[in-house]
Amino acid sequence: MKKVMIGNHAVSWGVLRSRVEVISAYPITPQTQIVEALSDMVADGSLPARYIKVESEHSAMAACIGASIVGTRTFTATSSQGLALMHEMLHWAAGGRHPVVMANVNRAMAPGWNIWTDQNDSLSQRDTGWIQLYCETNQEVFDTTIQAFKLAEKVDLPVMLLLDAFFLSHTSEPVDVTEQEDVDRFLPRREAVYKMDTKDPHAFGALVRPDAYTEIRWQQQEAMHEARDVFRRVEDDWEAITGRRYGAVEAYRTEDADLLLVTSGTITSTARHVVDERRAGGDKVGLIKVKMFRPFPTDELRALLGGVDRVAVLDRNISPGHGGIFAEEIRSALYDVPPEDRPILFGYVLGLGGRDVTPTVIDDIIDNTRTKARPEREDLWVGVEL
Amino acid sequence: MSERDLTRPHETGRRIPPVAISETSTLVNQTGSWKYIMPRYQDGVAPCNAGCPVGIDIEGYMYLIGQGRLQDAADLLIRENPMPAVTGRVCHHPCEDSCNRASLDEAVAIHSVERRLGDMILAAPPPPAPERTRTETVAVIGSGPAGLSCACFLARFGYGVTVFEAAPEAGGMLRLGIPEYRLPRAILDRQIERIEAEGIEIRISTRIGTDVPWAVLDGFDAVFVAPGAHMGKDSRIEGAEGVPEIRPGLEFLKEVNAGGRPELGDHVIVVGGGNTAMDCARSALRLGADVTVLYRRTPREMPAIPQEARETKEEGVKFEFLAAPTAVEMEDGEFVGITCQRMELGPPDDSGRRRPVPIEGDVFSMKADTVLTAIGEDCDLSFLPDEVRTNWGLVEVEALGESTSAPVFAGGDAVDLPRSVADALGAGKRAAIGIDHYLRKEAGEDVGEVPLDDLRFAGGNVSAMRYAKDEDPIPREAPVNDVVTWDQMNPHHYRSVPRHEDHFHAGIDLRSAFGETNFGLSQKEAIEEAERCLNCGVCNRCELCLIFCPDMAISRREDGGFEIDMRYCKGCGLCAAECPRGAIVMTREGM
Amino acid sequence: MSQTIIKQHIPRDDLLASGHLACPGCAAPIAMNLVLKALGPETMVVLPACCWSIIAGPWPQSSLRVPLYHTAFETAAAVASGIKAGLQSRGDTETTVIAWAGDGGTFDIGLQALSGAAERNEDFIYFCYDNEAYMNTGIQRSSATPWGAWTTTTPTSDPEHQPKKDIMAIMAAHRIPYAATASVAYPVDLVQKVEKARTIRGTRFIHILAPCPPGWKTQNDETIDLARMAVERRIFPLLEVENGGEWRFTVDHPGGPVEPYLRRQARFRHLNEVQVEHIQREVDARWKILSNRVKHGT
Repeated sequence: MKKVMIGNHAVSWGVLRSRVEVISAYPITPQTQIVEALSDMVADGSLPARYIKVESEHSAMAACIGASIVGTRTFTATSSQGLALMHEMLHWAAGGRHPVVMANVNRAMAPGWNIWTDQNDSLSQRDTGWIQLYCETNQEVFDTTIQAFKLAEKVDLPVMLLLDAFFLSHTSEPVDVTEQEDVDRFLPRREAVYKMDTKDPHAFGALVRPDAYTEIRWQQQEAMHEARDVFRRVEDDWEAITGRRYGAVEAYRTEDADLLLVTSGTITSTARHVVDERRAGGDKVGLIKVKMFRPFPTDELRALLGGVDRVAVLDRNISPGHGGIFAEEIRSALYDVPPEDRPILFGYVLGLGGRDVTPTVIDDIIDNTRTKARPEREDLWVGVEL
Repeated sequence: MSERDLTRPHETGRRIPPVAISETSTLVNQTGSWKYIMPRYQDGVAPCNAGCPVGIDIEGYMYLIGQGRLQDAADLLIRENPMPAVTGRVCHHPCEDSCNRASLDEAVAIHSVERRLGDMILAAPPPPAPERTRTETVAVIGSGPAGLSCACFLARFGYGVTVFEAAPEAGGMLRLGIPEYRLPRAILDRQIERIEAEGIEIRISTRIGTDVPWAVLDGFDAVFVAPGAHMGKDSRIEGAEGVPEIRPGLEFLKEVNAGGRPELGDHVIVVGGGNTAMDCARSALRLGADVTVLYRRTPREMPAIPQEARETKEEGVKFEFLAAPTAVEMEDGEFVGITCQRMELGPPDDSGRRRPVPIEGDVFSMKADTVLTAIGEDCDLSFLPDEVRTNWGLVEVEALGESTSAPVFAGGDAVDLPRSVADALGAGKRAAIGIDHYLRKEAGEDVGEVPLDDLRFAGGNVSAMRYAKDEDPIPREAPVNDVVTWDQMNPHHYRSVPRHEDHFHAGIDLRSAFGETNFGLSQKEAIEEAERCLNCGVCNRCELCLIFCPDMAISRREDGGFEIDMRYCKGCGLCAAECPRGAIVMTREGM
Repeated sequence: MSQTIIKQHIPRDDLLASGHLACPGCAAPIAMNLVLKALGPETMVVLPACCWSIIAGPWPQSSLRVPLYHTAFETAAAVASGIKAGLQSRGDTETTVIAWAGDGGTFDIGLQALSGAAERNEDFIYFCYDNEAYMNTGIQRSSATPWGAWTTTTPTSDPEHQPKKDIMAIMAAHRIPYAATASVAYPVDLVQKVEKARTIRGTRFIHILAPCPPGWKTQNDETIDLARMAVERRIFPLLEVENGGEWRFTVDHPGGPVEPYLRRQARFRHLNEVQVEHIQREVDARWKILSNRVKHGT
């Protein structure tokens, strides 16, 4: 069934198809259509879930954790400040191994107030232990929402799916909405291993002393590592049903390229267009789309970027005092590539607070990357006008 | 450098789950090691038990009633007190004066509960007489409360007992001195029958020294002397000698109690403030007289049981305090009244009461047709052999009734004791123990000394059960022989419940009514009254300790008691602080 | 019967195990045990940061014989909402969900989540065991700390100068179906309130005063007596509020001077007569307000 819908509704449809049992959310622009549509679905009975209309994002995540520990499939959605408020409970969800799924509409952090897209909200939550999946299109948003539940429940880790404010959240695109019976084949009802049960009472989350804390964290990390393979299998299953797959990392026209762009989110579509134009002109430019940020696809990126001359990483985010966050992570991943295969890496910071990243900007970046011998600093800010 | 690969997880067999999920309870933590003091269940003695001159486990029978075990309660009572139907009616119940409950609201009406149990016992057929296990025999002189008590316990100890009674009926002062309206004869008769049924022979109309010689006692292995005090003291009213209208009160009572209905005239004066005076006054009232009690001190100093004094007053007897008779007044050779001296209270005398002193010149006359003097009685001990030493008209005895001449023992009003039924019963019990101990020793048994302090209820009278090492029907935890005082208890767990007062025959014309006026309590009321008992010092399984123990360290044992698991008790002391009965103590012992 | 034969009113089975890590004489485990006795094994407990996080035992232990979720300080009411929603979505309408928080987690950091849940009338019982300061972290003041009290953040040179927050009025203002105060010194009253709360649907709130020997600076064996005194002297009256409007006292409060209550706690030792008098006036004034609420229903 094909429907034209905004990205936010693609999330809602993904949640509906996933037969989520408990939703707990608090409104924030530009996430609101997700929860509005879910409210309608719950109200009209098409989604037989309990929807807790909490008084804050902190409580939204806390309530999801509560619902999750009794074994149910839970979902929330937020953005920016709301995600930041959840921070403490993001650790709790991950450390408690609760497979909560959350959609975060990437929006810049205040102050000053800004409702437009950038990734600093979600990347600030890098070390909370959540799997992060960045989407490029509304179809990918729909597909990833459903995949996220399967992934989360297989590895008992929470999953955050990300979509750019307005460019996806409020932009209509055709979405092939997978039929319910197909989704049901893909995603059965959740059967939790560890859950609160009066017939088998246990305490969860008590004080863990130094003699065991490391071992519990080790297992959490092992689950993160395992998530890479699990995601691959999840995509296999989904592809078998829908014919669609995205990959943790997507290589686009990278064959014999001497320069690769690295992007995430909607900038990817723009970059795709520029790559097509350049290729048409004989320029050996390719594109790497990073969908999975945590766990970080280190091996894939090493394989794809090793041996390439130059790499331009486009970061719609900034780690103040360092650089673009994808760039820093990729730079770190490439350290173990043999020195002769290490590309020269240019880390561009751009598009903050929703500033447009046009094909012209990307063209300029390609040119800059080709012409400079080396980057003059680790963070190359694009288009700053003082 | 270890041989282990530093960064490869090392398999040690530890089972660590992926999340912090519990796998065991906190029982693995022996938090009891934190404590420096520890609680212990330790039952003490209720003050009523210590205050009872008979030596009754009052708290014990209250406990059993509280458990619904009425028959067990009655059994426990009769084992320490052979005549509860009597004491429940006429005892001055000092137990109630010492009752801790008075600090909360009002003392438990112990006498009413005892009376109910006593009547219950009398309503049932007596049990078979105790087995005669001893070859020795004992003579008891006097069948009053002291004599019958001693005889009864001796029979239970296995001896053959013969009681010699001077009067034609047994009972001593219970029959001769106490009016029927306080102690119906049917009750007294049945109580005595029940005691006889324990295997005692009573020889009536047999006064030692008169009807039979002292030598008749030579055939017995021991003698208990309890003849009572039957000789009225001289009234010291000038000109009273030979005036028939001035009579000893006790003699009057004996006549009335034997069924006589003497003519007293319209106006009767009773001189004295004790129980005999009250009995005289109320008996005179019942013979139709207008009665005035003349007492030389104030109501506060009256030795009569307050309840008796109150009932006397309620029945219409008038009281003239701070007045003493000095002389007979005659008119034309006829007795018309007495001259009285007005008194005032001076400094205290030897008894601690303020001594009455005459107010110079303040005299007045009182009209009277009869004057009954009730200012005390003496004992006739003329029948005793000289070796039995007396002092101020009383037999000299040791704690267990031993006179100066073995094997003679004495008790009751004939020794230096408060003159009450309870004290007489208690003296009889002590003497029975003394005689048993003496005879066993004489028989060559290695009996050592009588552990008198251990036999007493915390310094009160002795327990026959403790002496006989009978099984205690009440489970007691590590009992100690100390009274539990109100400040050792936690008053907050009790709420105020009014005391059940005895029912009185109301609205009858007392004149000529010698029937019982006090009907006591119904069975239901008596049980409710028993449930007012706080069980001072004795764990009654209320389980507050279980509820207030923060460490769940207290558990129920199979036998109904409790166990404190010292592996977990942190020694906070809340159980001891909150125990309503003071039955838990904190101690360093065993730490 | 003259004695409160309370064992007849209190279920026998303990759902709390020995070996828990409460300080000697702590009221909090007494309260928990009574509550769980009243609720029975079909109960799930949410426990935010508080003394009870320790009392429940470190991993891999649990002192409770019912399921327990340790959660972040401010989230008890939200997690309880989620657990209940999860159970409901799987068709379990019988299990009782309770939040069990200290005064800090209730009066202060957890108040927002509690207010949110109460306003939504979430179906759980929220218990606040109130020891009147942040005891687990070492006796710092909270908004439940009474006026005049010493804590490690209100030194005797500048003791607590705000009155205790009126949490019952706050909860009543949410018009939840049932709110009550309870005391470990009145176990029957406490158990009856919990049993009553269990039969009601929606948000129920029960506030239990829990004297703390190390924090109040009292002897270990005074816990119950102080809790009782607080009730008797009207410092912590025992009451119920139904639907936010029907206020009712559940025990007698004979009254009497507050001074003996204060003097037995070294946290009040520095108070002079004027300050004690001030507390007395406050207690009297609060009692008047409460009595009016009881009389007039609001």
